[in-house]
Amino acid sequence: MIFLQRIKWFVILLLVQVLVLNHVHIYQYATPLLYIYFILKLNSQVNRKVLMGWAFALGLSIDIFSNTPGLNAAAATFLAFVRPPLLFAQTQRDPTENFEPGIAVMGFSSFFRYALVCTLLFSIVLNLLDAFSFFNVKTLLIKMSTDALVTLVCILCLDAMRRKK
Amino acid sequence: MRLRLYGYHTVSSSLFVYGGNRNPGSTDRNCLTLIPENQCIDVRNLINFIIKYDYWFLFVLLEIASFVLLFRFNNYQGSVFFSSANYVSGVIYETSHQVTQYFGLRGVNERLTARNVQLELEVENLSRQLAEYGKDTMAITRLRKEALQNYRIVDAHVVNNSVTQANNFITLDKGSADSIQPEMGVVCGNGIVGIVYLTASHHSIVLPVLNAKSNISCKIKRTSYFGILKWDGNSSQYAYLEDLPRHSEFALGDTVVTSGHSSVFPVGIPVGTVDDMSDSHDGLSYLLKIRLFTDFARLNDVQVIAPLNYGEQAVLEDSVKVLLNN
Repeated sequence: MIFLQRIKWFVILLLVQVLVLNHVHIYQYATPLLYIYFILKLNSQVNRKVLMGWAFALGLSIDIFSNTPGLNAAAATFLAFVRPPLLFAQTQRDPTENFEPGIAVMGFSSFFRYALVCTLLFSIVLNLLDAFSFFNVKTLLIKMSTDALVTLVCILCLDAMRRKK
Repeated sequence: MRLRLYGYHTVSSSLFVYGGNRNPGSTDRNCLTLIPENQCIDVRNLINFIIKYDYWFLFVLLEIASFVLLFRFNNYQGSVFFSSANYVSGVIYETSHQVTQYFGLRGVNERLTARNVQLELEVENLSRQLAEYGKDTMAITRLRKEALQNYRIVDAHVVNNSVTQANNFITLDKGSADSIQPEMGVVCGNGIVGIVYLTASHHSIVLPVLNAKSNISCKIKRTSYFGILKWDGNSSQYAYLEDLPRHSEFALGDTVVTSGHSSVFPVGIPVGTVDDMSDSHDGLSYLLKIRLFTDFARLNDVQVIAPLNYGEQAVLEDSVKVLLNN
């Protein structure tokens, strides 16, 4: 059942990302990368290898739609790899406890810090990999920070909305 | 030093014989038949270490896979699977496009009407001129036929498009089943669009002018000096004409068209107008800023130009290169 639930979120976030969000460029720069919400929300006790497997599959699916093979896959795998230590650095909970990261469980400030660090790292890796074609430091920095900001806002909104239900 | 040369069965039987004298870990050694006894413990530590940190290996493996894909997105057929021309993503984009294209219909209609009026005026003008030139109307028809007889035009719809990435691609709803092949030119009503990059059976990917890998040979229409059209990754309305010789003549506002030097585009397809000029980085040639006629941000219907003697010029040029290398 939890597997079907994951597949459902996987497909929804994938379609929303490739059909809507990939075409959003606020002020020519900021693109919300909402799909990493999937990686952030997997349970805290999910095995690291399973986590990376999901992240790689999701990243590659996004890549296939946006003609950037390997780009999102590499960044998402990296995010999944560093997620467990980031999660436990931001919460007081017992590392052996199994919970779904979110505002409801962790409290707003913990989840905010966790999501902030994750989106920032992800956006830095993604934009660095993307910068192989045209390297321009100013554009790169603007894009990194704005991408992370918009993504963070989207993730917090989505999580707050789900908590209300 | 005793060597353990047992297979699996011998070890099981020896376990049976020794019974409780063995510690439980000894079964781990079943696979290590050729390793001396006093080194077994080290190897087991190594294996434990590998098992404990195996997510590192998975991480490195997945990253390597990603990077191979990232740097190998090339013009070979296998990579079509990892692009938006594969069947599933193609169908999804097509469905989405069928829904969203209605939102743009008003604008499309307005532009079509404007274009129609313009063309009608032009037709009227031309037919008046034609009437003045006299009776030989058959000659004009023949000339027009001759100009287009070497090309076949395939109409296609854009189902996915981007203009803000560093490397943009356009996905079309026609593929090799409609006899589209890589290296064919793509144009729209206003001007040049790009070159077909990959084809699947019912979809294809176009490398537009707005891509770092795009190189299209163009010339100033008035004076015929030619250079290479490149994109700098910024605005989708401008591209740059590079390698224009120092002695070439041009003026701001001149029209730039394709040169016809490559087998991809016929000569004379409109590209844009000269907007600004500067020296190239090495100072040996001019760098012209070109305002493109094509509005890539609202591209919808395009035409793929399929030469009938496809590949003849390319084969000829390749054979010359081979001769020169020998």
